[in-house]
Amino acid sequence: MEIAPSAVEDEARQQVEEEALDALVGQYASTLYRVAFSILRNPSDAEDAVQEAFLRVLRHRDTLGQIRDHRVWLIRIVWNIVLDRKRRAKTRPETDDVAELARVLPADGLSAEQRAAAAQHHAHVLSCVDRLPAKEREVMVLSAFEEMTSVEIASVLGITESSVRSRLFRARNLMADLLQHARSLR
Amino acid sequence: MNSHSQKTFDSKTNATFRAGSGDAEKTLRLIANLPAPPALEQRLKAALRRAPRNSSLLHWPAGPRSGWMQSTWARTAAAAAIVFVVAGGGWAVYSRVQPAEPSRAIALPPVAAHGGFSSANAIRTPRTLNGTALAHPLPNAVAEKKPMERAKNPVKSKNAAAKAVSP
Repeated sequence: MEIAPSAVEDEARQQVEEEALDALVGQYASTLYRVAFSILRNPSDAEDAVQEAFLRVLRHRDTLGQIRDHRVWLIRIVWNIVLDRKRRAKTRPETDDVAELARVLPADGLSAEQRAAAAQHHAHVLSCVDRLPAKEREVMVLSAFEEMTSVEIASVLGITESSVRSRLFRARNLMADLLQHARSLR
Repeated sequence: MNSHSQKTFDSKTNATFRAGSGDAEKTLRLIANLPAPPALEQRLKAALRRAPRNSSLLHWPAGPRSGWMQSTWARTAAAAAIVFVVAGGGWAVYSRVQPAEPSRAIALPPVAAHGGFSSANAIRTPRTLNGTALAHPLPNAVAEKKPMERAKNPVKSKNAAAKAVSP
């Protein structure tokens, strides 16, 4: 029995696509996870978001060849998924965030007390970040990724580079205001 | 002096601002640099292998590996035949079925506004007029005529009464 050449071509094409997808997973899974975690602040949710992003890539794998910058493209996909999930998720109590941060954040050479205090401080800062307007908050969160340039942030958010800069400036001022206000209340 | 104190205030404010936003950025950077779980890559690869490969809504039925369905032209011909049959059937139905007559409008009783009172389909009828009142009462002979006869032809009986009265 002879195997049709089109079947052989299909198999070969599938093999190439699988290899390309595996390479993307190997190269960008960690970055995507960190982006997802910075918004969701929950390891399992972040992992789910990354998995969903790669499943979307799998569904649209025919267009992989047309993408110029895979990294920015993937970050954009995971960013949209994460924002969508965040919008749908119910707000969790702040105590959960503190406990989660204390568990997740690095605490080399810190005592249990110091560790708890640090987690409390970070949770407070993050609650202030959450109070920022969405546009400013998004830019601020993405700017924390050292490997992302302002051009890449602009590309992910679909805005101009100058908008990124002005939003970041506004976000910093607002953030300082919020933290100062919180300090004066104490 | 004044400008100096203003400058000092500005620099202090800027320093506070930078410190405040710096705190936030430090925290965000700390979170941004958290390492991914160690087995994340393997889990993702496994999930992708389990996921269905086809993105099409309608899956082509599975056939023998070297059957006629493997060739592209046969698939195209089969798809074209299906489209032809469906479109032809649709056209046949469309050309035979006559369009329905437009429905006549049915006048519905007026409905009261929400929360108000309705007339409950009651129709107002005007009160009928009473008969004309005579200036001179009729003589007893005419007046005492049978009520049945008067009811049958009241005009005629009236004339007869007039004749009887006149000399």
